[in-house]
Amino acid sequence: MNVIETHGLGKRYGRTWALKDASLAIPGGYVVALVGPNGAGKTTLLHMSVGLTKPTAGQITVLGSEPAGSPAALDQIAFVAQDAPLYKNLPVADMLHLTRNLNRTWDQQRAESRLKELGIPLKRKVGKLSGGQQAQLALTVAVARRPRLLILDEPLASLDPLARHDFMAQLMAAVAEDGLSVILSSHVIADLERLADYLVVLSRGQVQVAGEVEQLLAVHAMLTGPAAAADDLSERLAVVHARRAGTVAQLLVRNSGPAEPAPSGWEAGRVSLEELVLAYLREPGAAALPGPAGATARATHGAPA
Amino acid sequence: MTTVAAPAPARGGRPVPWTRLAWVTWRQHRVALAGVAVLLGGLGLYLLIMGLKIHSGYAGVTSCHPASSAACGLANNLFTGDYYPFAQTMTGFLQVVPVLVGVFVGGPVLARELETGTFRFAWTQGCGRLRWTVTKLALLAIAVTAAAEAFSLLFSWYFQPWFAKGLDGALAPQLFDLRGIDFAAWTLLAFALGVAAGALIRRTVPAMAAALAVWTGLFFATFMFLRKHYLAPLAASGAQASTLKFGNDWSWAQWFTGPNGKPVSAQALNSVIRQAPVSVQGSKNPGAIGAYLSAHHYTQWWAYQPQSRYWPFQFIESGWLLALSLILLAGTVWLVRAKAS
Repeated sequence: MNVIETHGLGKRYGRTWALKDASLAIPGGYVVALVGPNGAGKTTLLHMSVGLTKPTAGQITVLGSEPAGSPAALDQIAFVAQDAPLYKNLPVADMLHLTRNLNRTWDQQRAESRLKELGIPLKRKVGKLSGGQQAQLALTVAVARRPRLLILDEPLASLDPLARHDFMAQLMAAVAEDGLSVILSSHVIADLERLADYLVVLSRGQVQVAGEVEQLLAVHAMLTGPAAAADDLSERLAVVHARRAGTVAQLLVRNSGPAEPAPSGWEAGRVSLEELVLAYLREPGAAALPGPAGATARATHGAPA
Repeated sequence: MTTVAAPAPARGGRPVPWTRLAWVTWRQHRVALAGVAVLLGGLGLYLLIMGLKIHSGYAGVTSCHPASSAACGLANNLFTGDYYPFAQTMTGFLQVVPVLVGVFVGGPVLARELETGTFRFAWTQGCGRLRWTVTKLALLAIAVTAAAEAFSLLFSWYFQPWFAKGLDGALAPQLFDLRGIDFAAWTLLAFALGVAAGALIRRTVPAMAAALAVWTGLFFATFMFLRKHYLAPLAASGAQASTLKFGNDWSWAQWFTGPNGKPVSAQALNSVIRQAPVSVQGSKNPGAIGAYLSAHHYTQWWAYQPQSRYWPFQFIESGWLLALSLILLAGTVWLVRAKAS
């Protein structure tokens, strides 16, 4: 079952396409990192997945074949929008009660014990909580709905490092307990590196990379060698991005299969998730997308390095 | 990688019961509703206290015997002088109550969610935004309309002695919309305008201001131009006019016709009057000029709506107000459903 599936999905604001011709199938059971620079279309995609935005073109379904935004879909999806909008004039206890009354499923006990662990008093007004506490409350409220899919839009953007750490810890605990699918967006991949096991990179409204993190890392390698031989090598290998520093060149390449031996004179190293994302973002023409069956990774040549 | 073995709670089956959404509605709008309760409650208390005084005073006047005696006449005049002027002032003041109540409750319903971004929370919950919107709007519309109707009934009772004394007609412009079902209908329209403006403008204060402006425009247009044409006005002249119960029937225009039966302009009429003898023009008797004009075959006419049309007019006006309100509310629901934010 795909938690999100899109076909030729597009959204236009005025003359600009925030998202264009996006076809994507995100399988269930993953913690998905949706990464891209500001304005890449992350929020647009997430809003369309919960019905807050209507597509200009194409289709989007969630959790199998539910139309995005339908009551049947929203019943099973918890969405936390950017900056975690909650009713600031309500006490925390009333915020819980209100969410409970807006949903068919609700785990009051879990919500209360989470808040107790976090040291968030039930009587305090939401607006009086710190930014980190508000984010934690939004996550608590979302998880207490016991969703099958949790969607978080830039949950970490406004948090300080300590609050980020606490937030991620709570999220990981929820994933471990419920085994729910999670999609979270960020413009900083480093935040998500430890947590995410599926990666989607959006750039300028296009899906550039989509795949399981392990598999993506396995088929990419960083080759370091003489700059003079770089062009020659680029002819033979799928180079995503090349960097030259003096006489040394670094090529991020996509192998056709795992563990190819490095060419002579070159040294092969593992790629970190962050390097991978940055390389693709620097080369808007490059893409690593699953084929129609979603099984094999396919890479196209980038623009000449 | 984690698995999809979510402990899926019971899915399918019945939607979120509306009583739970009623709690949400109450919790989010109880301050506005309390404000309405304070306003209507305060004014209502005043009407109740004054109403009791007026009713007991009126009972004293009607039981005065013999009614034609000077003492009874004096008591009657004192009673009217004590209470009637302020009752009239009150009717002017109460004209703004429907728009205050409606806009105050209706304006923030959607605008505040859109303004603060909490619609992204509210509209992604399991009950769905359609159910959320319909339940909220229906419950609040019923609440403000019912409160307004209750207040309107209290006002009718308060004002009853002046009708009984024949001092005012039920169609009088400043009374017509405070009684019957009209007051509640105007309140509902203000609510619907507030809600719709909130959905369109997406900010609370400007939405309330816009709704206030539109409501006021409609209100004045209605009582200045529209209401008198709900049914074709009747015309009465000379002898007929003396049998008209002016004060009870609603008359707003008069004109003269000349010897040929055609209407005469005010200028032409003035020149006729100027030809009258000085004894007539300077007469202390106010009927002298009228008598002179009718002797010269000039007839005075009045346009009026008879008081018997009070309920038909109530239904006509409340009917179109209700229809307009429902169209606005339905349009708002459609807008929320189709909204591409």
